[in-house]
Amino acid sequence: MNDFNADNAYLEGLEKKSISIIREAKAQFKNPAALWSTGKDSTTTIWLCKKAFFGKIPFPVIHIDTGCKFPEIYEFRDKLAKQWDFNLVVAKNDEAMKSGVSPQKDRFECCTLLKTQALKNLLEKEKFDALILAIRRDEHGIRAKERYYSPRDDDFRWNYKDQPAEMWDLYVKPSEDFSHMRVHPILHWTELNVWQYVKQEKLPVNPLYFAKNGKRYRSLGCQPCTVPIPATAKTVDEIVKELETSKTPERAGRAQDKEQAYMMQKLRSLGYM
Amino acid sequence: MNPSKINLVIIGHKDHGKSTLIGRLLYDSNAVPEQKLQEVEAELKKAGDEGFKFAFLLDTLEEERRGGLTIDVMQTPFQTKKYLYTIIDCPGHREFIKKMFTGASQADAAVLVVSAKEGIQDQTKQHAFLAKTLGIKQLVVAVNKMDEANYKEAKFKEVCEELLPILNSLDYKNPPIVPISALNGENVFKNTQKMSWYTGSSLIETLDKTVRPLAPPIDKPLRGCVQDIYEIEGKKIVVCKILTGILEEGKIVNFDPSGEEGLVTQIEMFGKQIEKAGPGDSVGLIVTKLREVKRGEVISYPQNRAKVVRSFVAEIVLFSDIKIRNNDVLTIRCGTAEKKCKIQKILERIDPINLTVGAKFPEAVKSRDVGKLVFSPTEPMCIEEYSEFSELGRFVVEGRKGTVAAGIVLETETAEVD
Repeated sequence: MNDFNADNAYLEGLEKKSISIIREAKAQFKNPAALWSTGKDSTTTIWLCKKAFFGKIPFPVIHIDTGCKFPEIYEFRDKLAKQWDFNLVVAKNDEAMKSGVSPQKDRFECCTLLKTQALKNLLEKEKFDALILAIRRDEHGIRAKERYYSPRDDDFRWNYKDQPAEMWDLYVKPSEDFSHMRVHPILHWTELNVWQYVKQEKLPVNPLYFAKNGKRYRSLGCQPCTVPIPATAKTVDEIVKELETSKTPERAGRAQDKEQAYMMQKLRSLGYM
Repeated sequence: MNPSKINLVIIGHKDHGKSTLIGRLLYDSNAVPEQKLQEVEAELKKAGDEGFKFAFLLDTLEEERRGGLTIDVMQTPFQTKKYLYTIIDCPGHREFIKKMFTGASQADAAVLVVSAKEGIQDQTKQHAFLAKTLGIKQLVVAVNKMDEANYKEAKFKEVCEELLPILNSLDYKNPPIVPISALNGENVFKNTQKMSWYTGSSLIETLDKTVRPLAPPIDKPLRGCVQDIYEIEGKKIVVCKILTGILEEGKIVNFDPSGEEGLVTQIEMFGKQIEKAGPGDSVGLIVTKLREVKRGEVISYPQNRAKVVRSFVAEIVLFSDIKIRNNDVLTIRCGTAEKKCKIQKILERIDPINLTVGAKFPEAVKSRDVGKLVFSPTEPMCIEEYSEFSELGRFVVEGRKGTVAAGIVLETETAEVD
């Protein structure tokens, strides 16, 4: 067993850095917002935001609804928004949903229109200049290339070949050259750290993460493109134990990472989360 | 016992095998999921490549794999018996200095990779110099590609003899040097028979033995920077990030450069009150008698108060296409403060490749130069010497299109108190 990761002081160190980043974002940007998929990472991030602002999150929390999320996601979302008392904003690309895009037809187009474009439309309307997102370096090779502060241009593009310098903790400052800044406060956490923190803080999690009939969801996405992995963990404690020995990558059940080599890179360069 | 955490940056000239070395470390320590290995194998097969490419475990961008070079920084965790390392892979190409700097600014220690076949090249020297400039005090050298040098001791010694005077001049006094082949995994994790003339430890053992985690600066005088001011339920909360020392409840503190003074009556974290806060903590303070404390101010105790400076000397590294001249007014950021400073005088331009003074009192420094300059703030500003308070002794220079240079403060001159 990996003693190291179970260390409370270690989790405290991760938390301190994240809270400091969230506070920096609030101080530097005029109109920030946080993104919340209802998954474990973004729920952890929303909790960190609550902590950073002594209980009341001073900006909206955005949920991107593709219309094909699991029923458990909607249920969990509405319950927690009420319980934690934050301003939930739902982003939807109704037009694309009506026109019938689907992963069966074209997965790349479906992800781009229902997620990236839905977010674009909302940003255009609400003029958010910073988005707090719960991506982590260990999730995917492309996300490992990210910075804590990552600017996006007017077309939402991520210029991964020429990212700005990020020296020490002097993060990139706001500029009119960017449409918005992506802020990644838990970039340095691992999947195991997140679950250890969920356990420590007794955070509520979506029931889909717990095993049913020998399978559980390890990463939550849209219903058609997410499959559960074989697992027996039925509690947070059991998930922590499972991850300490697991060799299966976290996003094994996420189709958009695998359809073709570099699909994640292409999606992200266009502004995907 | 829980192992400590160490951030390790891998530096060196392009094509000397930095990404291959890291890929090998991850592979040999079983840190790579099976599915990831299969993905890399499939990708190589499609491209018609023979053999396994360890660098592909790090170079995840399509352009990096096709082009065979690292374009951007990658951080990846890796655990040994002793430490949890976060390995930072940096591009070696000379065009990518700002990325090398981004990676190195997060590091506690560095591994300098030098090819036994090619020997010391421009970025070998430049990266070592930049690591020193950034204040990285711990360095281990890996002489790589020993397989391509037929595992000859003479070749290894040749590299050592050329390298040691350079490193000594940078204050890296006789660092450990390990001959390795990252490609074949020799002397990386395990020792090899092929270099029986080498009796030292493998690279991993050497790192575990010599590198030490940086202790949090709790014994230093108190310094912290104000991040923000919140109004919650009618209470004014000063949000501070503590950088050095210990902040205690019930003490008088100063905020500079505004010069305000007050008593800390409460230190708050969400849902609890604490009596003390230390380095790295971001805490909310209730302080009596405050008028207009703003983001950017420095908190300290009256006994050892933060300095408001008249001028300071700094070494800066430029990484964008800009030119800095005498009398230019620049925007710099230090801690949470953003201030305007005038360039009083450019003292030296340092050649980062030949490691010599390129020019005394030059007219300008430009893209990719290193310069020693005297700055004089045009508004009240607190800044410290890097050797004493690293977080308040480093800064970035803002250009029209983002950060254009980074600097380390060597000396400060305190302003007269009226």
